[in-house]
Amino acid sequence: MLKILVCVKQIPDIDLVKMDPETGNLVRAGVPTLTNPLDLNALEAAVQVKESYGGEITLITMGPPMAESTLRECLAVGGDEAVLITGRPFGGADTLSTSYSIVKAADMEGRFDLIFCGKESQDGATGQMASQLAERFDASQVSCCLSIDEIGDGKLRATRVLETGREIVEATLPCLLTVEKDNFYGRLPSLKDYLAAKTAPITTYTENNIDGLDLNKIGVPGSGTIVPKIYPPELPEPGRIIRTGSVKSDVAALMDVLTEKGAL
Amino acid sequence: MATYNKITPEIAGQLKAVVGEKRFFMGEDIDPNYSHDEMPIYGKYLPEAAVDVETTEEVSGILKICSANKIPVTCRGAGTGLVGGCVPLAGGLVLCTRRMNKILSYDMDNLVVRIQPGVLLKDLAADALTHGLMYPPDPGEKTATVGGNISTNAGGMRAVKYGVTRDYVLALTVVLADGRIIELGKSVCKTSSGYSLLHLMIGSEGTLGIITEMTMKLIPNPICDVSCLVPFRDVESCIHFVPKIKLANLDPQSIEFMDADIVTSSAAFTGNPIFPETVKNEDVGASILVTFVGSDEDELDQKMIRLGKIAEEAGALDVLVVATSSNKKAAWAARSSFLTAIEADTRLIDEMDVVVPVDKIPAFLIYIRRLGEEGGIRIRNFGHAGDGNLHIYCCSNDLEEEEFKRRVKIIMDKAYTKCAELEGQVSGEHSIGHAKMVYLRESVGEDVFRLMGEIKKVFDPDGILNPGKVCDAALRS
Ligand SMILES: Cc1cc2nc3c(=O)[nH]c(=O)nc-3n(C[C@H](O)[C@H](O)[C@H](O)COP(=O)(O)OP(=O)(O)OC[C@H]3O[C@@H](n4cnc5c(N)ncnc54)[C@H](O)[C@@H]3O)c2cc1C
Ligand SMILES: Cc1cc2nc3c(=O)[nH]c(=O)nc-3n(C[C@H](O)[C@H](O)[C@H](O)COP(=O)(O)OP(=O)(O)OC[C@H]3O[C@@H](n4cnc5c(N)ncnc54)[C@H](O)[C@@H]3O)c2cc1C
Repeated sequence: MLKILVCVKQIPDIDLVKMDPETGNLVRAGVPTLTNPLDLNALEAAVQVKESYGGEITLITMGPPMAESTLRECLAVGGDEAVLITGRPFGGADTLSTSYSIVKAADMEGRFDLIFCGKESQDGATGQMASQLAERFDASQVSCCLSIDEIGDGKLRATRVLETGREIVEATLPCLLTVEKDNFYGRLPSLKDYLAAKTAPITTYTENNIDGLDLNKIGVPGSGTIVPKIYPPELPEPGRIIRTGSVKSDVAALMDVLTEKGAL
Repeated sequence: MATYNKITPEIAGQLKAVVGEKRFFMGEDIDPNYSHDEMPIYGKYLPEAAVDVETTEEVSGILKICSANKIPVTCRGAGTGLVGGCVPLAGGLVLCTRRMNKILSYDMDNLVVRIQPGVLLKDLAADALTHGLMYPPDPGEKTATVGGNISTNAGGMRAVKYGVTRDYVLALTVVLADGRIIELGKSVCKTSSGYSLLHLMIGSEGTLGIITEMTMKLIPNPICDVSCLVPFRDVESCIHFVPKIKLANLDPQSIEFMDADIVTSSAAFTGNPIFPETVKNEDVGASILVTFVGSDEDELDQKMIRLGKIAEEAGALDVLVVATSSNKKAAWAARSSFLTAIEADTRLIDEMDVVVPVDKIPAFLIYIRRLGEEGGIRIRNFGHAGDGNLHIYCCSNDLEEEEFKRRVKIIMDKAYTKCAELEGQVSGEHSIGHAKMVYLRESVGEDVFRLMGEIKKVFDPDGILNPGKVCDAALRS
């Protein structure tokens, strides 16, 4: 039976997040959260593998206690076990310490044959986690995966999408995959699974119960990057639609603008 | 038949004096879209002139001039109608409300809002939400004006629980054909005060007066909601499930029906196959999307559990839950895209919007499909199953327009006859315009049809308001 790990991240609804202009911090309080959309594609890929080859899917997330709701959402659509890594000392982590924390907690659950990740998160969006995790798990890595064509004999064959075409690759297990969404749109949970997920047990790890955890490698101390400042990008002047009521006056108004901007 | 006059340079000058140079259009300056609504198949007719009005007084001034000179006036909101309602069949003037788009005031104690008719449905809905309130009517086209919605008594997906636009209109300011300004209704919860001219005005499609201000009822926004998709093997078992949902006392907000074809089209159009085409390795023939609202998650869970039970008994393939914000967005984007998805892959299109008793839906759908097959016309359909309202589209990509119209007419004639047999009505929510007048006449009978015409005469003796619509058969004969 394949042991499959899926990394999922809860993110704030980025459409609703604002930046505090004084401190430069993201104001997340009260902002609704969601599961990083690309992680749901990763989960769907894992579920399809489970359906074809058999297996057990463990979900893992690092985040505040409320990240539990992301785990429950994922349990409802095919996850079997769920692991939450939470605790103050993990806060402020960058990708280096996040990947370290995830691998240490995952090791508590045994060895995994397949690890699925989203391509990137919608909020942090570094796209670094997958490669760091693959390295730390000592796993091979297949990115931009369009389909998983065969698994057996300790290896898998998969099709990747490149800018110039398709590539069929073979990789040894354990293998970490990030997927394209085309074949892996998330599914809706059945009512039965949705209700069961609400009360399913969740394994929680903190800084106190992960074997061999080096506290210097988690949270801020374990981070290789420091963020001195965040500021919103300067947006280009938005386009304007001239609609004065008639074609003639539209053209006249357009000429005025173009002349004023020195374009004519 | 009424006779009309042309807009002479002198009359044009008078009209211009009311709204000013910039909001008066003639000849080439008229937006060519004013010749049609979203159903160009019913013919294109350009007006001689158009005005953008901004106040009740302007509307009154314009109508005084037009009635004195017997100039036809057709009111236009956003032009998203589906029956040619805002199309100026007799030429004359198009009076457009798009600039009357102000939300005037909220009364938070009585939960009412006063608005101008050109406010878009989406803007009212969004603005009400910022006050913690909901505007319950929810027709599919969010860029329609609320004035248009009132004039067509628009329905929409939430009608099962909340009713239709009519149920949310408390008072109207209306300009009559001769320019008089009247007030109909009051901001009160009930009334028993003479004939309800308010309700006569609602759904009158710009044939009795021009609505220039409205007082609308709002409700507190429900705290949480969830939807369930219930897939079935076939249309019949799917539709038979609808009355069971109602009988189970689950008080759903909406019950929408979709068959396999429309799900495929919409997935191709939106790029997100959120509604499954197979469930547990079985092909889905048709699905019901049910939405519940409530004050907490537990309440919704209880409703879903009860829904699950009756769904199983009814032979549903499964019950799927749409609970996360991403899934809700995707599901409603897909549902709202149905008509646009059909339009996107169809060159010629005609529609019917019949409403039949809920238990008669399968019989009607089976009949119309057979007509489509016999007549060589592709039929697409979806609908508000909870209230028996079906949207049926006749589509073709390869027929010549004339041949298409010929074949569709045969189908429509038979389908409306069938609808009458099943005790249905010509239109559930898209109204009559000029496209459905003959079917209205057949459906209500000569006595009622003539009575409608006589009522119209009381309001508009010279027949200048939106000629050729609803019950004004004279223009066409
Ligand atoms: C300027 C800045 C400030 C930040 N400040 C904070 C902060 O104060 N507190 C904080 O918590 N984060 C903070 N972050 C976010 C944090 O550094 C990253 O989100 C995290 O290290 C993962 O990186 P990513 O989101 O870029 O992952 P990516 O590499 O883009 O993500 C790829 C995939 O990795 C997996 N993954 C990523 N994160 C997790 C996770 N937490 N659990 C499980 N799987 C995961 C998912 O499958 C995801 O799709 C900040 C990020 C930036 C850029
Ligand atoms: C994609 C799509 C989906 C749709 N979904 C639905 C749906 O779910 N439910 C539904 O009911 N309809 C639906 N419709 C139909 C359409 O949106 C409605 O009929 C809407 O009410 C029309 O509003 P409008 O502002 O576009 O009016 P218009 O099309 O401009 O006018 C419609 C009629 O109202 C009259 N009118 C407009 N404003 C006034 C006024 N101020 N005073 C007097 N008369 C006036 C016009 O003269 C005309 O007869 C849909 C249309 C489309 C294109």
